[in-house]
Amino acid sequence: MSDGRARRVFVEMLREEWRLHSRLFRGSHFSLFPVFICLLAGAAAKLLAVTGTEPKTVFAGLHALVFVFGLHTGSIGFVGRDALRNLLGDVTLLVFSARTLPLSQNTLLGLFVVKDSVYYAVLFLLPISLGTVLAVSGAAGPLLVAETVPLLWTTLALTFVLGMGTTIAALGLAGRGVPGLALLAAPLVAVGAALASGVDIVFYTPYGLFLAQTPVRAGTTGASILVVFLLSAGTFDATAPRPARTVTPAFRRWWRRIGDPVATKSLLDIHRSAGGFGKVLFSAAILFGVTAALVDFAGQITGVPPSTGISFGAILGLSGFTTYNWLTQSDDVSLYFAHPLSVKAVFVGKFRAFLLLGPLVGLAFYGLALVWRGGSVAEAAVGGVLLVGVACYIFGTTVYLTGLSPNEFLFDTALFAVFGAAMVLPLVPILIAGFAISPLSGTLLAALGGSGGVMAVVGVALYRRSLPKWSTRYQQA
Amino acid sequence: MTAIEIESLRKAYGDMTAIADLSLSIDDGEFFGLLGPNGAGKTTTMEILTGQLSPDSGQAAVLGVDPATQPTAVREQAGILPEKESPPSFMTPREYFDFVGAIRDMSDDAVTAQTESWADRLGFTAKLDTLSSDLSRGQQQKVMIAGAFFHEPDVVFIDEPLANLDPIVQERVKRFLRSYRDDGNTIVVTTHDVDVAAELCSRVGIMYGGELVADVRPAELDADVTLLDVFLDNVDATVDQGPKSLTHE
Repeated sequence: MSDGRARRVFVEMLREEWRLHSRLFRGSHFSLFPVFICLLAGAAAKLLAVTGTEPKTVFAGLHALVFVFGLHTGSIGFVGRDALRNLLGDVTLLVFSARTLPLSQNTLLGLFVVKDSVYYAVLFLLPISLGTVLAVSGAAGPLLVAETVPLLWTTLALTFVLGMGTTIAALGLAGRGVPGLALLAAPLVAVGAALASGVDIVFYTPYGLFLAQTPVRAGTTGASILVVFLLSAGTFDATAPRPARTVTPAFRRWWRRIGDPVATKSLLDIHRSAGGFGKVLFSAAILFGVTAALVDFAGQITGVPPSTGISFGAILGLSGFTTYNWLTQSDDVSLYFAHPLSVKAVFVGKFRAFLLLGPLVGLAFYGLALVWRGGSVAEAAVGGVLLVGVACYIFGTTVYLTGLSPNEFLFDTALFAVFGAAMVLPLVPILIAGFAISPLSGTLLAALGGSGGVMAVVGVALYRRSLPKWSTRYQQA
Repeated sequence: MTAIEIESLRKAYGDMTAIADLSLSIDDGEFFGLLGPNGAGKTTTMEILTGQLSPDSGQAAVLGVDPATQPTAVREQAGILPEKESPPSFMTPREYFDFVGAIRDMSDDAVTAQTESWADRLGFTAKLDTLSSDLSRGQQQKVMIAGAFFHEPDVVFIDEPLANLDPIVQERVKRFLRSYRDDGNTIVVTTHDVDVAAELCSRVGIMYGGELVADVRPAELDADVTLLDVFLDNVDATVDQGPKSLTHE
């Protein structure tokens, strides 16, 4: 792009993204977002510091979380093709509206991904770096803070990019048949072999670079990012021509079983949009991995083996958020207004679809966790109740705060703060019990099971209570 | 009998007035056209009448039902072709009609019969099992037209019904619309196409700046006066003016 067109489009995408979010969430709500993130990260890091967690452990955990965040953000690969065809609403309009420009669609999607990376780096990772370093190393003086913040920000950004590139490359390779799958398996086998032979591969990642800025670590970090992005560019093609898809009619059959046309449509949307039900599983799988890491991490800190049932149950319930996100991804409420459907009926349909998919996916991974990590029957049963309770609670809270647009509210400071508080308040005591207390007494287990039930009731109540609000809101738009 | 009654309707989006004090009455069996330039308030009027949007003030009734307070009841009786909508991306036309039938409690047999009839009438039988996202804009418009008339409503609201259709299908749709009106049904069409309004409508309301500025019956115009003349007389624009850059040189 020697004529600078790609750069110009990239700058305009950044500008439009800013305008879009500023308008969606009012300027002040959006511009305060990094401040809020900084305070949140600082508070969390301070809490860990005062409970005796080593700064090194905090930084390691932060890199791990950002890597997972990157992996999840890379699922843009799932929706890339649909975004280019304007099937997914306003958030991907930037990609769609630019498709008539004299740039290849893969270039446009690439620019979109880079734009997203810049946004996440500036709006999330910079305030997280600042808040964490101030909380953990602030007392050591401004010089150390001034040195550490840029370093942490850089390595977190590299970690994020590595995670995102890994997902896109994996999606690209997975779509290339047996050779692609073989190529996908090769690095996994290599990592496994390295771990088995005692090589600490962490040193060769961006986190290793954070620990020591040596040429070798800088080189391996750069090389790994280069490799995943070359693989992504070489294998992932969101615009691959595809014949018009003819399918066997499924609506009537599904509807007879589900009993609600909106729920049936929502599930068909997920099934047939790029990635299918696999993208729901992918989101839950990431949460599963995070929980496993947290369980190990907490066990090392406290010296107490965390309860598999409570820890996995409570955290996997959070997958309800991503499930609801996927259920509303290709929706536009105005379509429903062409039919005798009330706003309430639309939400009822979404809830039914959610109940069929959300807890089921969570419970599948929960079963996997129980098989893998074991646990008592009583804890397993209570964990199951917690999972369903947390899933219903996060569904109700999300609907109450965001209606049918759960994917856009993350940039609204006020909403994000309320959502964060609504999650932290009930979940922190549950997680403390699950991670730090062993064995759990019968009374405590009963209380935890009860709290799962209460969360389910509160979630459903919030969802029901929000229906008049959304009916009015969507009709006055 | 009055099918649609509008009285002192107002709607604003922030500082912009979309509808300013609109009053109108449409009789049973009329083919009424809402004609106006872009931004005249036609689509907003349609959205209020079908309960998709609440007015700021004023009253409306469709077959005696207030769309602001009973939006679903209005949509139960009416057929709606929205301007911007297309069928759900990840459903086929056949499945979309199943979806419409499910919402409207139609029997499977009735849905199947209507599906085949409409696919044959508008020529998309071969596309019945193709995902809507893979259909052309014209094919999607055919599916949306069929969806609006699927339950044979007494009142139909159609927004730019001929958009994206080829001339042959346009002619088929026009014939169908005339026959549907001849069966005693009421049709309200919004368009900015003067020729379409003149050809199809028994009565035309010209909207401009959110107001009804003229109410005419095309068949009753003097021989030397066209609907375009009436339209241009009532809207603040002439085709000869405008920036020179708009002409191709």
